[in-house]
Amino acid sequence: MKPILVFLAVLPLAAQIPPPAAPAPAAAAPAATPEPAAASPAPSSENWVTGYIEVGYRGLTGVGGSYSTYRSVVDLGSGLKLNDTDFTILDPKHRLFDRIRVRADHWGDDPWSSLHIFVEKRELYKFLVDVRRLSYFNDLTSYADPNLTRGTGLDQQSFDTRRYVGSYRLELLNNHRVSPYLEYEHDSSTGSGVTVFQTSADEFAVPDTTTDSTDLYRVGTHISGQRFHVTLEAGGTVFKSSQNTYTYTSQAGNPGNNPVPVFGQTLDLTSLLDAYGIRGTSLFTKGTFTATPFRWLDVYGNFMYSEPKSTVNYLQYDSGNLFLESQILFYNSEQYLVASDAKLPHTSGNVGIEVRPLKRIRLLESWSTDRLHGSGSASQNDTLNSGSPSSSTVIADLLEAALTSNYSQAESTVMVDATRNLTLRGGYRYVWGNASDLVLPVQGLPGVINENLRRNVGFIAATYRMGSKLSLTAEFEKGSSSGAYFRTSLYNYTKVRGIARYQLLKTLRASADYNVLSNNNPNDGSPYLFFSHQETLGLDWTPKGDKLSFDGSYSHCSFHSEIDYLNPGTLTPLLSDYREDCHSISGYLNTSIHAPGKEGKDHPVQLSAGGAAVLTSGSNPTTYYQPTARLSMPLTKHVGIFAEWRYYGLGESFYGYDSFRAHLIAGGLRYTR
Amino acid sequence: MLSTNPKGPRGAGLIACALLALILFPGKASPQAPPGATGRAKTFGDTYAGSDTCQTCHEDLFNNLRKSAHSVVDTDARLGWKDHACESCHGPGAEHAGSADATKILNPAKLTAERTDKICLTCHLNTVKQSDRVNSSHMKDTVSCVACHTVHANGPAGLVARTAPQINTLCTSCHLDVKAQFAKPFRHKVPENEMTCVDCHNPHGSARQTMLQTFASNEPGCFKCHGDKRGPFTFEHAPVKYEGCGSCHEPHGSVNARMLNRNEVRFTCLECHSNLPSVGAAASKVGNSVAGTVPPAFHDLRLPRYQNCTVCHQKVHGSYADRFFLR
Repeated sequence: MKPILVFLAVLPLAAQIPPPAAPAPAAAAPAATPEPAAASPAPSSENWVTGYIEVGYRGLTGVGGSYSTYRSVVDLGSGLKLNDTDFTILDPKHRLFDRIRVRADHWGDDPWSSLHIFVEKRELYKFLVDVRRLSYFNDLTSYADPNLTRGTGLDQQSFDTRRYVGSYRLELLNNHRVSPYLEYEHDSSTGSGVTVFQTSADEFAVPDTTTDSTDLYRVGTHISGQRFHVTLEAGGTVFKSSQNTYTYTSQAGNPGNNPVPVFGQTLDLTSLLDAYGIRGTSLFTKGTFTATPFRWLDVYGNFMYSEPKSTVNYLQYDSGNLFLESQILFYNSEQYLVASDAKLPHTSGNVGIEVRPLKRIRLLESWSTDRLHGSGSASQNDTLNSGSPSSSTVIADLLEAALTSNYSQAESTVMVDATRNLTLRGGYRYVWGNASDLVLPVQGLPGVINENLRRNVGFIAATYRMGSKLSLTAEFEKGSSSGAYFRTSLYNYTKVRGIARYQLLKTLRASADYNVLSNNNPNDGSPYLFFSHQETLGLDWTPKGDKLSFDGSYSHCSFHSEIDYLNPGTLTPLLSDYREDCHSISGYLNTSIHAPGKEGKDHPVQLSAGGAAVLTSGSNPTTYYQPTARLSMPLTKHVGIFAEWRYYGLGESFYGYDSFRAHLIAGGLRYTR
Repeated sequence: MLSTNPKGPRGAGLIACALLALILFPGKASPQAPPGATGRAKTFGDTYAGSDTCQTCHEDLFNNLRKSAHSVVDTDARLGWKDHACESCHGPGAEHAGSADATKILNPAKLTAERTDKICLTCHLNTVKQSDRVNSSHMKDTVSCVACHTVHANGPAGLVARTAPQINTLCTSCHLDVKAQFAKPFRHKVPENEMTCVDCHNPHGSARQTMLQTFASNEPGCFKCHGDKRGPFTFEHAPVKYEGCGSCHEPHGSVNARMLNRNEVRFTCLECHSNLPSVGAAASKVGNSVAGTVPPAFHDLRLPRYQNCTVCHQKVHGSYADRFFLR
């Protein structure tokens, strides 16, 4: 971050550097570069910096209900914030740059913050920075807590992490025939939480810490000609992770989740050191082209290849009174070491053409493929001690794993402009592929699994547009399969989609969406039935332009899925029946009150109020309310104040312990220039 | 190594050779032409009026144009429309200028989407952004460029929404159903404007389904933020690689914790790991088996200890060390 801040600090100064006292005309206008002054986006009479900054304080008035769920879902806190800023710096002399645009929001211990910087000098370079900082907290009480009878309520998979994602991209020589670019991306996370240490007869909730980072480098160039474009790119990633490194020491012993004595002995864990060291690299290449060899033909294509690899060292030392079911063996301490590696070559490509044989007809042909051929191996060495060194048991394994997936798709589409307003589209898509998955030696799993994918899809659609007043789109898609990878995969399905937009009045626009998906996967004696539909209606009303506007929407959706399974413990047939019937409504009213005169017109009092609400019934009846209101008022030409209120209320009928409600009140200053 | 499907389309090599030849010998080429240039050494006759004439009546639009990226059309002779930027889209304007008759000038806003796009794509087709145009559902639904891009836009924001609130408002003005899904409690932070729709989707089209963005050339864009789920894992969980994150998660929003597609994680797992025969109806046709149907253990799901599968099978996205995803 520091270099960026220094860069930002220096650039405005550079913009203000006065021109040399007597510049030589030749130096001011290099012969090879057209002088862009005529294209100045900023007449010199304009401000060199324009924009606004908004700072304030937000208070959380207290959370009713589950604070952990509040943090998992909302996580807004109290404190001083840089709420929002968006400003542009222009250099009328076009020396180092033409303009810089900076946007940043929610800095100051907010759960999500972002910073975007865009610097441009036309014809020479563009520099883009995109930084996100995310707090990812997740601690939801488990619906199935085996330790609840002991008086503890613990999510055994919870975490409190901070993630940083940044990308920095430099594009050179824009609008030139050859335009290279460089990019660096960084993604890292660090945090702590609770996870489970697993043994064969018991599992123990333990604290853990995690860190991971991915650095991505890419370099490429765009090559453009009169009728074609090619982009060539190469890059690599470096991945590091030391996830789930945790230590735990307990004199009393962690009793774990299994309260039942094993052969009369109670199991416990007294100490643990468990660490992963993960390193990964990958190289990737990408080639993209478009071409227009004839006026009636466009050609598109992409080729992409990546080969990520990873090597891992895992070590685990634990002690306690523990049991290995496969050997019917009690042990007091264990050393478990794993050295593994994996690679996953991944090839993708597609080619497409758009042919316009007649004025009103377009033919689209496309073919794409995506191929994964992964392999991995793991060497495991497990040493168990039952009291003395002479009583050690060593279990060594060498495992080989392989996963492949070959996916292909070919699609033909005909588009016909039947009339000036009506476009018809129809086509056929064939999807095919195969996949396999195996781990050797086989142990408790089926052997090699080979799956095939075969799907024939037909679709028709129509779009009717009457200027900007009316737009109707309807699409029907029917798929029929003779092979799929999973019981719940799309198999024999029907999709229907409809979208309508109508400008009822000059100030009123109505919109409607309709979506249906019906899927039937005829597994042997246990078909998977899925049906969903969603209807949405929206209104945009602007009776007085920017002085008064309202946008609102209402949506109803319904999901229903059914599939059988056997309880693996009792082998009794059960039905997984998921239903969700949801109503969601949102509406926002925006008003601007202008005081008389130009000053009042430029700086109105603004009031926004509205929010969203969701009510669902079925397998997880839930209500979620999110109303909000905001008032902003000018104090002077450049300074204004704002106040904001938000409410979040989550209610769950079956998992009531997750319910919460919270009020947030914020206020602050806004400076505009 | 598994072989590809013999029933797939044939003759791909011939098609590729033909296309390559078309690209390498495209006809006229202007060595000085920058991207998007027409390559024509255009001479403007009496039918053209010039941007200055347009400015006389449309000063606000002209001023906006001069501040936008399109001003380069008016200033860069290599693009072939120097001082005639307005007419590069609207066609010859002398007659309109002389008569002030709106019917005497081409108005792209009143054309069909296909014809409007044709005007934009005269310059913008052969660019990296359009390389997946043939896979774009926007293109297939005849959603015109100007549905999202405002050609006469003013200010530094350029021709399209740039800030998160603007982008999300623009997308959800059509995708109302998705807007409703984002009102649910467990979601990506799009309503908070900490993410935008284009963080995950490429509105111009993508090689991946649902116009998903990609990471490191061809991997799902999800891994840009969820790098720890990327692998490659020694022991992969097949659905993650075969059908993607959407196998178990509802990325736009869910009433279920962790954006899962079922209210309890065991149902998400058991619908595949059903303990029912692995050979499905498909077997009778293509010798298919269905993956993952037999669980490796015989847990008694009546006990809370076994109801939350991911407590033990914690590395459910893939494991570096354990074939059963236990560590």
